[in-house]
Amino acid sequence: MIKKFIHQFASPKTYLFQVNKFYNYIFYISISIYVLSITWGLLFVPEDFVQGNSFRIIYLHVPASFLSQSLYAAMAIASVTYLIWRVKLAAYLIIAIAPIGAMVTFIALSSGSIWGIPTWGTWWQWDARITSTLILFIMYLGLISLHGSFSNYEKADKLLSWLVIVGFVNIPIIKKSVDWWSTLHQSASITLTNKPSIDPSMLYPLIGSTIGFFGLIICLVIISSKVQIIKRESTKSWIKDYV
Amino acid sequence: MFDFAFKSIEEAIYMNGHGIYVWIVVTIVIVCLISAFGHYKIKLRELKKKFNESD
Repeated sequence: MIKKFIHQFASPKTYLFQVNKFYNYIFYISISIYVLSITWGLLFVPEDFVQGNSFRIIYLHVPASFLSQSLYAAMAIASVTYLIWRVKLAAYLIIAIAPIGAMVTFIALSSGSIWGIPTWGTWWQWDARITSTLILFIMYLGLISLHGSFSNYEKADKLLSWLVIVGFVNIPIIKKSVDWWSTLHQSASITLTNKPSIDPSMLYPLIGSTIGFFGLIICLVIISSKVQIIKRESTKSWIKDYV
Repeated sequence: MFDFAFKSIEEAIYMNGHGIYVWIVVTIVIVCLISAFGHYKIKLRELKKKFNESD
């Protein structure tokens, strides 16, 4: 029953026609929220008592760090779906997400390094959080180049799915690195279980920038997956109706 | 909550010496997002064009 449901609603054709309906709404709402929240955070939030104005990097760094891990988790879910139910769309999504994940991880690493200069006095430290995030970035790059090196898409999809699942072990390591090891990186200020340790005037624009950035990344995944679908389903007759 | 945090635009740019770090990060994010959207839009247009030509 699950297999029938997934195959019916997750066919590349249904996906392609459905996402087109929502794309513009997601894009314009997300960009508005993102621009407003970033402006709020950069120019209207009071200066931090300890870090001064450099703390404003939080509005760009935290959404990127959160998304870098979430995108990998999405790839892992797509990999499991592909391996169990052989859903083609899941395989297309894995390779559509990987370059975007790499870009978002690059933003997280570079913004973190730049933030480290005025805060820690160094742009790089081989501590657990930064090193595990660098490993995530290398993993994204490795998955992209590995998929590109195969001429047989089916073989590439299968291998990539297994590698994504194996590599998922790095995600809880990144998440828990600040608790398990002594690092320069501070512990999470916002958790699901505890009250946020960040002042509401600083928290609201952070929530806004995270939601806005999330929406923009969803839009990127949609366009990237469209490219994959048109490339891989070019022999199908329904593609003509779409293109 | 919505009061301008600086006395002037110059101060907002300088941010007590931290402006250089903050604005570099802003530039990185903007460049990455615009390049990514541009890259995929161009790729999508090329694929559609190629598909229509071969049809």
